[in-house]
Amino acid sequence: MATVTLNQAQKTYPNGFKAIHGIDLKIEHGEFTVLVGPSGCGKSTLLRMIAGLEGISDGEIIIDDKVVNTVAPADRDIAMVFQNYALYPHMNNYGNMAYGLKNRGYSKAEIDAKVREAARILQLEDHLERKPRQLSGGQRQRVAMGRAIVRQPKVFLFDEPLSNLDAKLRVDMRLEIKNLQQRLGITSVYVTHDQVEAMTLADRLIVMNGGVAEQIGTPIDIYEKPASQFVAGFIGSPAMNFLKGKVSDDKKHVTVGDGVMLDLDHDVEAGRDVTVGIRPEHLELLKDGEGRINAGVRMVESLGAETLAYLDFGANADNVTLRLQGTHTFEKGEKLSLSVPASKIHLFDIESGQRI
Amino acid sequence: MKRVQFEHSAVPYLFIAPQILIISIFFLWPAVQALYQSFLLEDAFGMSSQFVWFRNFEDVLTSSSWTRSAIFTVVFSVLVSVLSIAISLFLAVRADEVIRGAKSYKTLLMWGYAIAPPVAGLLGIMMFNPLMGDLYKAFNSFGFEFNHIENANDAAFIVILIAVWKQVSVNFIFFLSGLQGIPKSVQEAATLDCKSPERRFWTITFPLLAPTTFFLLVINLTYAFFETFGIIDVSTKGAPGGSTATLVYKVYVDGFLGADMGGSAAQSVLLMIMVSVLTVFQFRFIERKVHY
Repeated sequence: MATVTLNQAQKTYPNGFKAIHGIDLKIEHGEFTVLVGPSGCGKSTLLRMIAGLEGISDGEIIIDDKVVNTVAPADRDIAMVFQNYALYPHMNNYGNMAYGLKNRGYSKAEIDAKVREAARILQLEDHLERKPRQLSGGQRQRVAMGRAIVRQPKVFLFDEPLSNLDAKLRVDMRLEIKNLQQRLGITSVYVTHDQVEAMTLADRLIVMNGGVAEQIGTPIDIYEKPASQFVAGFIGSPAMNFLKGKVSDDKKHVTVGDGVMLDLDHDVEAGRDVTVGIRPEHLELLKDGEGRINAGVRMVESLGAETLAYLDFGANADNVTLRLQGTHTFEKGEKLSLSVPASKIHLFDIESGQRI
Repeated sequence: MKRVQFEHSAVPYLFIAPQILIISIFFLWPAVQALYQSFLLEDAFGMSSQFVWFRNFEDVLTSSSWTRSAIFTVVFSVLVSVLSIAISLFLAVRADEVIRGAKSYKTLLMWGYAIAPPVAGLLGIMMFNPLMGDLYKAFNSFGFEFNHIENANDAAFIVILIAVWKQVSVNFIFFLSGLQGIPKSVQEAATLDCKSPERRFWTITFPLLAPTTFFLLVINLTYAFFETFGIIDVSTKGAPGGSTATLVYKVYVDGFLGADMGGSAAQSVLLMIMVSVLTVFQFRFIERKVHY
């Protein structure tokens, strides 16, 4: 168990591209931290900097009170699981798990005990003699995890470990990883672009964008109080609806689309232009005529457990997504009556995108 | 193994016909002729010939010059293959690590590939020319009494040097592409598992290059056996006293210069047998170890 601290960690490539703009972060003992963001946001770079596979241009990376900026990857006492497993194809699975121990001078008996224990935890006992190519994707990823856990490192690093697996296996492995991490209590940093993985796995979530940590917090915090329009749009599926709006003179309402008035309980100056954010699941469907919002249905997607309807909020607004539990049948063009509780309305600054 | 049955038709035979034709004209026909000729004793002008069964083979196998040439060929081939593989592997690994100007390094290292063996031989022997060769002068100024015209070892050194130099660029290309075929993440995983770069090389990189190395071993042995003909013919011509003549070169010397067609044919048949055995051995015993 260990803590990982980043002090103004920065990464600038020789061609002048700044991948990481100074990140401050403290990861506690046994905490599961997830770095999430769109591709190119610097999340993998940051992880690789912690691993030592990328150098750090400025700032400090500290593992357990020790600055590791220039420490070799093998001496940082970390283990990493890669997206494409990165198993050694010429060694059998036992050899793959034992390799790191062998190079650290463990005795044969110790190595054997550790590898067999890891294999037992990961249900790989029957596959130890086989080569990685003889295993399925899920099993390979388990061997890769085995290679990480046999060393009992201070920190686990996961670089999109589930991206190469099919959808069903991904869900199983997600649970398995969470389970394993809680059982072993090892500090973990996990990189993903999948916000479902991010939400479900994280004790703490770091949403990155353009080399900057846009928001750091628990998944629920981030879901309920996104710090910026970017975070709001990235976390939550389907994505949050954004509409241009203007705060009314009495500050009690905000007008969106073609004159739709929504209740407001924010502390915001009258007449200000804002971006209004409403999550699809927070729009409530009412019986005819009772709601403030009346919108026509453009398209419907039925997923069985839930129904997504895309609504017309007027000529100068994008489609607005409505998410309802269960199955609903709507005619195309049918007028729906909706409302949104004032507490579920998010306001963002038009220029900066920051939460108001 | 599953067998697939096709409708019998002439089309597949037509597709393979050009290749069969080429092999027949340039390999099977000459091979059969050589086999036939190896049983004949001919006069130097080809006016008369006599069927002598295995006497040519007896003569070849009991002659000290053939035995010496055979030993030289084996030593030469092994040294050329091992040295050129080792040097090019070293160069490829270093070139693969270069970040700035990598392309220029790689291109320059590949250039040698474009040089024909006789040209390489000419370049080499000019460098060792006793009157104007820089390497000849340099070696002697360091106190070696280097004299390839009289000393067989010195002559062998020159031939090996040229042959290795010529082959390094070929091997370099294959090793470089082999290295680039190793997934980057596998190498990164190894940096987390193993601190020492040397150990990492021998436990991860080298085993993953094994198929490439095996392939190059076959290619290089073939090269040393047959394709060094041009180098030898231009540089030493087998001198001094046939000590740098490989078996292939000796076939040429005895047959075309010595006009002993029967003896030369017998030698080439022996060569064919040796190469077949070598091929079987390579694929049976070495290739089995390099698959992963």
